[in-house]
Amino acid sequence: MSGRALAPESQGVQVFFAEEFPSTIEAMDRTLDRAVRALVADGWLAQEQAGPARLCLEESLVNAVRHGNRNDPERQVRLELASSGDRCLIRVHDEGGGFHPEQVRMPDAEHMGGRGVCLMRHYMEYIKYNEACKCLEMAFRRGHCAAGG
Amino acid sequence: MADKKRVLVTFEDMGRITVGTVRQSSVLSALNVAAFGKQVLKRVKGTRGIHLLLNFEHVDYLSSAVLTELLRINKIVQEAEGQMRICAVAPNIREIFEITNLDKLFVLSEDDAQTSVKRFERALAVAAREATWREPAAEA
Repeated sequence: MSGRALAPESQGVQVFFAEEFPSTIEAMDRTLDRAVRALVADGWLAQEQAGPARLCLEESLVNAVRHGNRNDPERQVRLELASSGDRCLIRVHDEGGGFHPEQVRMPDAEHMGGRGVCLMRHYMEYIKYNEACKCLEMAFRRGHCAAGG
Repeated sequence: MADKKRVLVTFEDMGRITVGTVRQSSVLSALNVAAFGKQVLKRVKGTRGIHLLLNFEHVDYLSSAVLTELLRINKIVQEAEGQMRICAVAPNIREIFEITNLDKLFVLSEDDAQTSVKRFERALAVAAREATWREPAAEA
């Protein structure tokens, strides 16, 4: 992803975590750990309530590695966490053709895949493909990404 | 790196029920989910009429990749004319099944393994009795 422009920022949006990693599950897992720690350190979540946010991050990053970059370690995934008022934006960039979560429907009981998007939809305030940034974007409000919510 | 040789699930036969206990929550991360599936399937495959109870007492985190593995395991158990249940399911884990509508497919319980084994045994006995009652009607 070198040479690719960073996500254009609108006014009032501040990136507080950004990391790029090669498309392997091992590298993804390390970035995931650091991102969750950053969310807790920045006061977006309490440590004991980090499960749903970690889940949404993992689902989006695994999609980028497996489907966007087709597990090619030469291709990079970039994760950005940014604040916009009391909203935390999560942006995931890969080198694939773009993923439109609004086109994913709830799979029937026998279907094996497709449930990650359902989980992200449930826990996040929104999830969409950001055409301007060419990335997957989702967001939650401070303290509002919790189990039972 | 995921440790492919690490024991992620231990198995114990309790009567007719095979109890598979997931050893710790972290085994169900993206790193280990494939190894988890392989270890369960190794036990399940080729065992006709296996009744599998997965014990989730240590599980406090679940991703969609794990759900996919559970669907795969359930399918193989059913093909072997067995049944699968999941016990000791924490409320936040049940929520994952509910969001994805899989609470209607899997038999989930918050009870511990011992209680769930007894309940599973009773359900199998009732099903066997019902099958006996149905047979003459089917022949008639």
